[in-house]
Amino acid sequence: MSLPDFQLLRPKTLTEAVARLAENPGETQIIAGGTDLIPSMRQRLFTPRYLLDIRGIPELHGIRQTAEGLEIGALTPLTVVEHNEILRHDYHVLAEAAGTVASPLLRNMGTIGGNICLDTRCLWYNQSLTWRKSCGFCIKKDGDLCHVAPGGKECWAAFSADTPPALLCLEAEIEIAGPKGTRRILLSDFYTNRGDERTRLANDEILTRVFLPRATSGYRGTYRKLRVRGSIDYPLAGIAVAFKAANGHVEDPRIAITAVNPAPLVVGGVKEKLNGKTLTTEVAEAAGALAARTARPLTTSALTPEYRREMVRVLTKRALLDLAAPERKRS
Amino acid sequence: MSKVLLKLVVNGRPQEFACEPNQTLLDALRQDLGLTGSKRGCDDSSCGACTVQVDGVPMLACTLLAAGCDGQEIVTVEGIADHGSLAAIQKAFGEWGGSQCGFCTPGFMITVHWLLGQNPNPTEEEIRTALSGNLCRCTGYNQMYSAVKAAIAAEQRGKVPR
Amino acid sequence: MSDFSVIGKPVALVDAAGKTTGQGKYTDDLSMPGLLIGKILHSSYPHARINRIDASKALALDGVVTVVVGADAPNKYGILPVGHDETALAVDKVRYVGDNVACVVAETEAIAEKALELVDVEYEPLPAWFDPEESMRAETDLIHEQRPQNIEKEYHHVFGDPAKGFAEADHVAEGRYIANEVTHAAMEPHSTLASFELDPQTGKPGRLTVWSSTQVPYYLQHKLSIVLEMPMSQIRVIKPLVGGGFGGKSEVIPLEIIAAVAARKAQAPVKITYTREEVFWAHRGRPRTIVDLKTGVKKDGRITAVAAKVIQDGGAYCSYGVVTILYSGALLGALYDIPNIQYDGYRVLTNKPACGAMRGHGTVNVRFAFESQLDEVARAIGMDAVEIRERNLLKPPCITVNGLRVQSYGLPECIEKTAERSRWRERKGKLPRGRGLGIACSHYVSGAANSIIRSDMPHSTVNIKIDRDGGVVVYTGASDIGQGSDTMVAQIAAEALGCSLGRVKVVAADTDLTPIDIGSYSSRVTFMNGNATLRAAEAVKKQIVQSAAKRMGCAPEDVVMRGDRVWKKSAYPEGGPEAALQAAPPDAPTVSGRVEGQILRGSVQQKRKEEGPKDQMSFEEAVVSAIDFHGALTGTGSYAPPVEARGGKHKGAGVGPSPAYSYSTQVAEVSVDEETGEVTVHKVWAAHDCGRALNPVSVEGQVIGSVWMGLGQALQEEMVWKDGLLMNPGLLEYRSPSAIESPDVECIIVESVDPEGPFGAKEASEGSLAAAIPAVANAIYDAVGIRLRESPFTPERVLAALRAKQADAKRLQLSGKVDPTHPETFREHGGSLSYRGRGAARHPLDPAIRRKSGAESEPKPEQGAS
Repeated sequence: MSLPDFQLLRPKTLTEAVARLAENPGETQIIAGGTDLIPSMRQRLFTPRYLLDIRGIPELHGIRQTAEGLEIGALTPLTVVEHNEILRHDYHVLAEAAGTVASPLLRNMGTIGGNICLDTRCLWYNQSLTWRKSCGFCIKKDGDLCHVAPGGKECWAAFSADTPPALLCLEAEIEIAGPKGTRRILLSDFYTNRGDERTRLANDEILTRVFLPRATSGYRGTYRKLRVRGSIDYPLAGIAVAFKAANGHVEDPRIAITAVNPAPLVVGGVKEKLNGKTLTTEVAEAAGALAARTARPLTTSALTPEYRREMVRVLTKRALLDLAAPERKRS
Repeated sequence: MSKVLLKLVVNGRPQEFACEPNQTLLDALRQDLGLTGSKRGCDDSSCGACTVQVDGVPMLACTLLAAGCDGQEIVTVEGIADHGSLAAIQKAFGEWGGSQCGFCTPGFMITVHWLLGQNPNPTEEEIRTALSGNLCRCTGYNQMYSAVKAAIAAEQRGKVPR
Repeated sequence: MSDFSVIGKPVALVDAAGKTTGQGKYTDDLSMPGLLIGKILHSSYPHARINRIDASKALALDGVVTVVVGADAPNKYGILPVGHDETALAVDKVRYVGDNVACVVAETEAIAEKALELVDVEYEPLPAWFDPEESMRAETDLIHEQRPQNIEKEYHHVFGDPAKGFAEADHVAEGRYIANEVTHAAMEPHSTLASFELDPQTGKPGRLTVWSSTQVPYYLQHKLSIVLEMPMSQIRVIKPLVGGGFGGKSEVIPLEIIAAVAARKAQAPVKITYTREEVFWAHRGRPRTIVDLKTGVKKDGRITAVAAKVIQDGGAYCSYGVVTILYSGALLGALYDIPNIQYDGYRVLTNKPACGAMRGHGTVNVRFAFESQLDEVARAIGMDAVEIRERNLLKPPCITVNGLRVQSYGLPECIEKTAERSRWRERKGKLPRGRGLGIACSHYVSGAANSIIRSDMPHSTVNIKIDRDGGVVVYTGASDIGQGSDTMVAQIAAEALGCSLGRVKVVAADTDLTPIDIGSYSSRVTFMNGNATLRAAEAVKKQIVQSAAKRMGCAPEDVVMRGDRVWKKSAYPEGGPEAALQAAPPDAPTVSGRVEGQILRGSVQQKRKEEGPKDQMSFEEAVVSAIDFHGALTGTGSYAPPVEARGGKHKGAGVGPSPAYSYSTQVAEVSVDEETGEVTVHKVWAAHDCGRALNPVSVEGQVIGSVWMGLGQALQEEMVWKDGLLMNPGLLEYRSPSAIESPDVECIIVESVDPEGPFGAKEASEGSLAAAIPAVANAIYDAVGIRLRESPFTPERVLAALRAKQADAKRLQLSGKVDPTHPETFREHGGSLSYRGRGAARHPLDPAIRRKSGAESEPKPEQGAS
């Protein structure tokens, strides 16, 4: 299957990239690692006139420590995020989540920025043009109906990246560059929770950097991923958990989930339930129930929605108990 | 579409040619340079049969644009033999049954070649993880692990001065 | 000294270096000047009449050479003589989403793909059939007019007296088992290159050469001759390296015919390579199957009777279907001693891609049911799972109640060895909750005793040529698809001729050069082509021995060929020539020119006269003296299964008989996570009776690969359907196992030495697959006490079963309202698509919607699905 025709733009600086993007905003698609975009272009989910290859912009690569925390260039490969010593130590949940993305080969190519901007996925959408023609096109691409929500006029494709829930737990911010300069927002404000218009990135903007605040440095955290294969697969559910460990108590706990809604979501009510508590089975189960309540999976993948929601509950509970384990051993 | 002129270093040799902007690195290698060792096994970047090294890092040639690789160094399966003889890993894959139909083998060769370059003495789990981006449908992977271990042993023997 | 010098030793495949260096060529790696690319237009409808195809816009596109349609080659073909129901491209109607409608031939792939979008097809949608049990009740809108009720074939077999057998049983178990559909997913997508050459006499296109990724080059040659109406002698099929088959390339696949028809119409060479999605549509995999099974046993564990009703969802064409449904019944026999068998098999047509042969053809899903139920009855009568299997062993040599002849029978040893290695007796029942052991057995044919073409011709013929260079060239039609048949052939020839492996060159699977072999399927190649090779080698050897005997002044019986030398028996070194071989390893053939450079220059007769009689000589010298007497040495060997192995006389008796059966036993150790339903296989001990292991490393590879593929079907592989639409037509969503979750498989080779196999060898590549699924099912039961009767045992099914046991109200929704411990029917993928295959009518470019200017009323979405 060949790729559709396009013109390739290869800017060498961010300024140049923003300028090129501004020339034809609606017709230009940004490509970084390409691990999701290229297969999607084969399926004719995207047929941009211009492809803006930003891989050659050095300023968007790399991890730097700053006064306010840590700064990760959007083009930093997931493999680097996975193995970076500072991340592994201070922002463990992110390194762990990055290490579960797809496969080692795809992590060598895929970038943190690409993972944050990943297109939402649905078994009725991520198919070839011929397949979608056979089935009848859907709201997200070329059509006007939804195959998973009867009579629905909204798109429920699932946001299926692994690192954003970890970033949400760490209160990450992102920097976005556009014709009017740069803006910096909380990652939690980036997503729309709609399957089709999934982010608030305007079509003339580029995600440039991710910031991890000093405040969440050293938080204990972990990521659990539901998938069928031990590698390659996108998550069918993903749960990131992080909190500040203090004398056997949980402080400032956060739980965020992915792959079960059109956006990665912070689970509400967690602070109220967990703050100041010792992580007992009972507490962990209550948190699991909260997470499951936030999850609204639909038939976007081969596993049933009921099963995926149930796993959000179980994996959340387990993530918390696993984090509690060293504390327990010590006490 | 106007063609793009690009320069690559492939298996140590500079190559200069024109390609369509939408041509993948895999197609350029197979069709323009005649290096058919790298294979196309899927269309959704999931199988790893096209794995090549780009500036020393294993990646999927089917998912890279050839024009996007301008100026980079590519190593394909055709480039890992050892001065005209089979590299230890190539010999070991033959002897230990690591390759049956052989279609996925070029991808595994590149991945293992990279692994042993990074980590000359990987644990079984490290081997397993490293290989987990390449699918094989014949072997069940078991004999590949024996082959990797045999190659490591052969490399180590080779390094001992006689 | 071992009995053999070449076989029985682990050697690298003779084509391994080509695979590890990337130098080896597969079909898609081939090119030639002027090569055009073909792309196929596939049906968007599961069942529709084609009223009109208008390709004018596509033809007008720059770079498009021609567009091929059904009318260009309307002759019907099919792999079975009784199942000629396919055409190269649809002639009147399409029968599944993905059926072949037209083929665009263009200068590049990109142009051809663009042109596909411009081919205007006017369809008239027909009601479609997706569920086999519904399809069996069809009276109208038949998929093929000549098949009432959409039943491709049904068989009703009774052996012994099943009613009496069940009456005598102390315990009878009954249940429905469902195995969902799986596919080969070989790493190489199918590819075919077809090229005509101009005939110098007529000046018109003459001979056709086809390079194709096939397991059956000779069948391809035959079917091409039917469709193209050309004599077979004008068609040459060459099989380059093949990147895995597993049955998916064991019949003629549409692109192979289409490429040839396209090359004829385009008047230029044409290559077609499937996309991965097209591979899924071409399919020919293992049909989803309903098995209603009943087993009766006495208290002592003896099976008194078995009754099986099997329904296979065969898809839209016959393919190998008639054979599949027969294997499903016939292979109830020949594993255990079962006195009474009733079998009712239905092969049903539906509007889905055609199913065909897949590794373990026909036996796998029934074996899953049988071995699971055997576990159930063992528990019911309080007997250990190993013991009940030992109580029902055959006593060979024997002929089973359904007419299968069994000679070599390594099953007892397989059971014993796996029980021993897995420490079954010490550990069974003593593992902590959540961890369990399960055992199951299986078997398979070493080739079919009756070929599908019902001919008396040999199933394999092999030629060997040795010329003055001392090189042994074996011409074999056997198709190496990665299983190692070229290596097997080389080893047998080298062993028989007493020469080194490096001396043997194999020329294989080229219909112009090699004698007919009917193909690489039903695990026939080692047994049949191996025997033919052995006979050819012996024919050549006889000539060498005769002349050597003269030279050494002894009787031909006193000549020994071994270790690349020829010996007078009295001079043959004690302990064999292996010591000498150490100095010159067998992999390094001695250079022929060593015979004092006389091989090519002239005769050694003169030199010989000057010498006295010898008591040993080099292989080259022996060869050259034989050639001096006879001219170039050639020998032919062929193999046809013996009449005694060809089975009974009942209708359908042709399928199942084999000259020999392989046997397999596996113990799986699993743990089950009771909160997630996740099953982890920690280890599988797999014993396989392959008669004799000609190349142990290859045998182990085949056995481990089979077990592993079975584990894929057991745990995660499944084609997910919705209204005939395949939801997961790619390697990302059809999840064959990655390295991470693939367990350690310990292969235990059992050698029963078959009296008719080449050096005693039998099949090794398929028989082990079937046992893996029930071994895991039985281990899951042992771990957590749930009996899964629907495969694959995905986490949601396992969890649903666990919850069902706890009588939790939420239980069934986890697996789409189907209880995997008591499955009733196939589960469709969830979601609201309710177009019953009419989704394509919504496409804005579709003529149907344009005619009605978008006014067509939409069916209401299904309610209830999440």
